[in-house]
Amino acid sequence: MSSADWIAISPLIAVAAAAVVVMMLAAFWRRHAIVAAASMIGLAVALFCVLPARSAAPRMVTGLLAIDEFGLFYVGLLLKGSLAVAAVSYGYLRARGRDAEEYYALLLTATLGCVTLAVSAHFVSFFLGLEILSVSLYALIAYTRERARSIEAGIKYLVLAAGSAAFLLFGMALLYAEYGAMGFAPLAKALKASGGANVYMLAGMALILVGAGFKLAAAPFHLWTPDVYEGAPAPATAFVAGVSKVAMAALLLRFLTQLGATDSRPILIALSALAVASMFAGNLLALLQRNVKRILAYSSIAHIGYLLVAFIAAGPMGAEAATFYLAAYMITTLIAFGVVAALSPRDRDADAMEDYQGLFWRRPWMGGAFVAALLSLAGIPLTAGFIGKYFVVASGIGSALWALVLILALNSAIGLFYYLRSVVAVYARPGEEAKAADRAPGFSLAGGVALAVLGFSLILLGVYPAPLLRLIQTAIASL
Amino acid sequence: MLANTFTFYVAGLVAVAATALAITGRNAVHALLYFNVSLLATALVFFTFGAPFIAALEVIIYAGAILVLFLFVMMMLNLGSQASEREREWVRPRVWIGPGILAAILLAQLAFALAHGAGQGAGQASIAPKQIALALFGPYVVGVELASMLLLAGLIGAFHLGRREAPASKSLEKGDA
Repeated sequence: MSSADWIAISPLIAVAAAAVVVMMLAAFWRRHAIVAAASMIGLAVALFCVLPARSAAPRMVTGLLAIDEFGLFYVGLLLKGSLAVAAVSYGYLRARGRDAEEYYALLLTATLGCVTLAVSAHFVSFFLGLEILSVSLYALIAYTRERARSIEAGIKYLVLAAGSAAFLLFGMALLYAEYGAMGFAPLAKALKASGGANVYMLAGMALILVGAGFKLAAAPFHLWTPDVYEGAPAPATAFVAGVSKVAMAALLLRFLTQLGATDSRPILIALSALAVASMFAGNLLALLQRNVKRILAYSSIAHIGYLLVAFIAAGPMGAEAATFYLAAYMITTLIAFGVVAALSPRDRDADAMEDYQGLFWRRPWMGGAFVAALLSLAGIPLTAGFIGKYFVVASGIGSALWALVLILALNSAIGLFYYLRSVVAVYARPGEEAKAADRAPGFSLAGGVALAVLGFSLILLGVYPAPLLRLIQTAIASL
Repeated sequence: MLANTFTFYVAGLVAVAATALAITGRNAVHALLYFNVSLLATALVFFTFGAPFIAALEVIIYAGAILVLFLFVMMMLNLGSQASEREREWVRPRVWIGPGILAAILLAQLAFALAHGAGQGAGQASIAPKQIALALFGPYVVGVELASMLLLAGLIGAFHLGRREAPASKSLEKGDA
């Protein structure tokens, strides 16, 4: 590897080094604040390394990693998301009061898995990145191991993620058996040379879509989502929902685009079926929930359905819409789960609707952030979620996907109901007992700053999305 | 070539049968024995693919080291008053005859395959350890490093989840389920 290669993958190296440093710190000097600060500094350094990496791009590093504008855009996005999760975690873990240090090492390895996914252009790095992410997530989800729910969620995720990884691996094996290539670019070349889709290609792609669909929690592979979101500690849920899905979506976007898979009718039909099923399953099941974390889980399933519409629209317009949507979705989800984490008392997560009764009158800033996140999820103007949904609909209409766009509009209307129901609860007059119990034990200065920055970005992207759009355009152009 | 195909299918069938028996077995030791046979059969499948090095690793690391460790731990954890009774249960032919037959099939196959000069690979040349090393530390060096981070993540997670509760903090946590 040349020195330019090293510079190009410096963000990945920085995250990996940070994980090792944090592990050593936790081993010899168990001080929560110091370990948390070290991991945040590590993530910030990795984020800074994106700048020199951009100057070395575009570049293939050993055939496994494609360091280009697209990959680095997502690396930056994922690192910012992880930074926010680390900041929010600090207060939550401090309130819990013990064994907090390993959490940050696992968070950093999970982040490494995510950034690897964002830049991988080869089945080997795809699978390894996914496994690093999954293995870290098993432990992060079960982290509050004194709670039975958390352990249950961890085991559920372990079994289902291992199963979906087997599907993914089998799909890769089928494609490799037929085309003899594992890199995305050589695979695309072999695919073109063989003259389009055959049964191996379709079976392989179907199995890969199952594996990816599981990670994205697209229906009908969403069964783990509500239980895992509910059982996992709130900051880990924020990571699963906000960061890991963005990484998987980035990889899928690169994979499908490079292989030209969206030109193949059967794959488009499969993606459309996933999109429609996700939208309906997510929104209709969310209506039945009273638990805030479960509502957000079902809402995230629906959002993956909206996102897939942009995938199906394809072309640069679809990819741009998908990327903007993912950025908006990540910010929104992190705010929502960040507020849940901040409000969580020591022994449980603040996931009952009653915990939010009159939140706005008790804690106006946090209530305001939560409402902003809900409105963004619902796609109300002046929030990033609105612009994201606008682009998705525009890309869908641009590709004449009328049925999908109509279903999307219908589902947005259904979604509005349960988002607004939660908003009503936040603005309701708090009862006396809620007033008495008014505390935010999981709140910390770091988490507050992170929430403030996220909230500011949410509004900024909603009213002035042009700078981010320009960045996304250069990123997509490199794909 | 024919010998290779034959070996592949029989070993594959043995692997599937042993795995099915492993996951349906009610006795943990019994199931582990079947699982061990399944790994040996997989090793034979690798061998017919022209990957003798991977086959050897499969036998040494999975079947030899990891599963035998599993068996030992399971036997040692069960020490107690009924242990000798249970151990007598384990050495009854009923427990080991099934895995024994499957393993005997594999052994016969290996002898058959070696006698017929198989293991030259189903269509491919045999891959030597040197070629694997050159691939791993050449084009796939990033993959090797990523695999090391994967192990690190697993290690930290296992450490946290498996750690024994300190007695002082346990009394504090009594309220939790």
